[in-house]
Amino acid sequence: MAGERTGSPLLSGMTAVALVVVVALPFTFIMLQAIFPEIGAGSFARPFSHLGAVLKSEDFGIETRNTLFLGTGVVLASSVIAVPLAGLRALYRLPGALLWDVVFLVPFMIPPYIATLGWILTLQPAGYLQQLTGVNLAEFLFSFPGIVFVMAMHSFPVVYFAASRSFATIGARFADVSRVFGAGPGRAFWRITLPLATPALAASLLLVFAMSIEEYGTPAVLGARFGFDVLVTGIDGSLSDWPIDLPKAALLSLALIVLSLLAFALQRRIATARDFDVVGGKSPRAPARSLGVWQAPVLALFGLVAFVSTGLPLLAILATALSRTISGGLALDNIGLLHFEAILSDTTGAMQAMANSFSLGLIAALVAGVFGIAVAYVTTRGPGRGQRVIDALAMLPNAAPGVVVALGLILLWNQPSLPITPYNTMWILVLAYVCILLPQPVRYTVAAFQQINPSLEAAARISGASPMRTALRIWVPLIAPSVLAAMLLVFTVAARELVASLLVAPVGTDTIGTYIWRQFDQGSVGDGMAMAFLAIIATTLIPLGLLGSLRRFERKA
Amino acid sequence: MKQTLRTGLLALSLGISGAAAHADITVYTAGPAGLAKALAADFTKESGIKVNLFQATTGKVMARLKAEQANPQADIVISASWATATSFADQGLLLPYTSPNAATVPDFLKSESYVAEGVAALAIAWNPKSGTNKPTDWADLAKPEYKSLVTMPDPAQSGSAFELVAGLDAAGHDDLFPALAANGMLVAGANKAALTPVLQGAKAAVFGAVDYIAMGAKAKGESIDVAFPTSGTVVAPRPMMILKSTKHADDAKKFIDFVLSDKGQKEVAKVYLMPARTDVEALRPTITELKLLPQSGDAYAKRGEILDNFSKSFGH
Repeated sequence: MAGERTGSPLLSGMTAVALVVVVALPFTFIMLQAIFPEIGAGSFARPFSHLGAVLKSEDFGIETRNTLFLGTGVVLASSVIAVPLAGLRALYRLPGALLWDVVFLVPFMIPPYIATLGWILTLQPAGYLQQLTGVNLAEFLFSFPGIVFVMAMHSFPVVYFAASRSFATIGARFADVSRVFGAGPGRAFWRITLPLATPALAASLLLVFAMSIEEYGTPAVLGARFGFDVLVTGIDGSLSDWPIDLPKAALLSLALIVLSLLAFALQRRIATARDFDVVGGKSPRAPARSLGVWQAPVLALFGLVAFVSTGLPLLAILATALSRTISGGLALDNIGLLHFEAILSDTTGAMQAMANSFSLGLIAALVAGVFGIAVAYVTTRGPGRGQRVIDALAMLPNAAPGVVVALGLILLWNQPSLPITPYNTMWILVLAYVCILLPQPVRYTVAAFQQINPSLEAAARISGASPMRTALRIWVPLIAPSVLAAMLLVFTVAARELVASLLVAPVGTDTIGTYIWRQFDQGSVGDGMAMAFLAIIATTLIPLGLLGSLRRFERKA
Repeated sequence: MKQTLRTGLLALSLGISGAAAHADITVYTAGPAGLAKALAADFTKESGIKVNLFQATTGKVMARLKAEQANPQADIVISASWATATSFADQGLLLPYTSPNAATVPDFLKSESYVAEGVAALAIAWNPKSGTNKPTDWADLAKPEYKSLVTMPDPAQSGSAFELVAGLDAAGHDDLFPALAANGMLVAGANKAALTPVLQGAKAAVFGAVDYIAMGAKAKGESIDVAFPTSGTVVAPRPMMILKSTKHADDAKKFIDFVLSDKGQKEVAKVYLMPARTDVEALRPTITELKLLPQSGDAYAKRGEILDNFSKSFGH
């Protein structure tokens, strides 16, 4: 974006240094690992000895192709679900609008591996659906469309929130102009509102793409059933199957990173191709239209999507948590609270795990939020040199699965020469979460910045406001809702993160994710589901309070 | 909740000051976590030595060990795969130690640098409510009665499933896997992933289930039975080893002694594993009562080949 560059070099410098420590260094160690197989033992012997074999292998080609298919499929499915809902939510008076927002937050609170397990327990032969209705949808679930469906049900809220926020900012004013010139409502949406929302849409779709290609749980559980391997499952395989092959994992991660960077370049091209400023001054928000006779069908549509994406997985989780035994099925005499008692009595450290995760999530959200603002400011307003590098660095973690970030963090922070290290303390988890989730606040904040015309700041400066005052009075209020939304996202995802936590958690420390995973691993799926249910409730309630204050803040601004 | 939240924040603030307890011993262990926690707690009670536990799958434990090679953190490793111990010993990573309590551990369950904690066996886990007859041998599961109703842990992911494939191959049962593949057997995931569909009834039986996991589920009231195949099976001993890099060798040795003590072995028996010591009573059939397949000595040298053959049977 070519606007005035007003940011200070000092801020750029500090942001760059912080990004190097949090992102660049761990990724450098992954690259070193890919090149030097013995780096874990501190040796640079036999460089590049792995490269040829991995790149030539048949699996590599197939996994790369499948990863691309999966990412594209989930992006398409998510936008088909989310864009119409977002348009209706933003431009019309939707009864219970806030409630729908909250409901659509929930799929994001459900850890994807738990949701997938819920879908399996529901749809497989003899699953809950068959117990209730006599039919099962196993064939659909264990197929490519099945994986795409389950993953889109999890990720469409990302698009929904970004798109509805952007549609609302654009408001009906621009479309109204086209209506005056004779365009129908559909045409006005397609030709005016949707194109103007391009930066936000492209950013959220990129997030969905990146989330999908680095998601481990769903492809691992569903894909294994019909031989669908992606790069992430390949990486996990080389990290878990004897003999452990760190260089191969690092190489596959690099392939994944290249894919993500390509998607990122595409998104950047789309978002910066034209000028998308729509906030050019203080404009009254146009009142939303009435839905008229369409109110009932629209509500039915919202209800259906909410039930399938939120209700079904939650019910499956609850049903399993309330079942004394899995083999007892949905029967009255099989209902019991023993799994909840096991969690709440805290004999196995469940409460401590929850407290750990919530503290970690809170700290990660704060750090990532501040970080996100700094990076977004530097890349949209800062001095031109190096901003592309900073932008790419902030995007990089999106490209790598959590397990790879974890690997990089161990290789980096477990060097014996370091005088002080966060390794084997809780701070390594904060580092891991901030690194993995940094792209979220960055993407959201950049999109918000791109909608603020720099002339607003220029006007403030001309009127004699200091840079600090300009920031506080002009753009902080304008981007605050986006930043808070992104921080909520960081909190919820960090609070349930599994894959990286499993590898870098300090010895003896459980998080929600690792606790649930251990329960599944031991055989008490019921205990795991009870914990998952309580954690989902808690992670929904905590942000709800924050969301309330966000609304108040928005109204004031 | 408030209290635990405070402890969580406290742990964070302590963490940065580097107060991670390095004077204690650190144990990296494969599941079950309940057993690891019980052993650690009892050991601390008896010796006053604190134990830091890292519990994950054998794969994740090995990945962490490998990534930490430059600066090893663990003192003791407990794995669910015997091959990891032999490989570590070959690489010279282990501290030789023979516990005085290992006297009644059979020779094939110990070496100079590692010893079994306990032993699992592979079996058929079968759901009595599945409407099928209880299988008695591996080959039964290739019958039409079990068409598309059998799962198996992936031998590429599960060390014990690999041992079973190698054992059956060596015993001349190489026609078994093509027949199972033709009968729609599903090969997916690690050990636990194979069991859950059988509990709900989506599948009827697991080919090569780790027996103690299924016995534990049965004890909790799940509808699951364990059948030891008549033509024989393999056992999966769980090796314990002290890393040579340890700075707490004496305390680590005490931990090994404790796990092999009467008390430690009783904890092992409680989760339906066979205790490594023959003189501690098991709550389940033991090695002497099970029919075992002949040992396949060079299985690990041929690992790639065996896995290739296996996946060819399943058309991958």
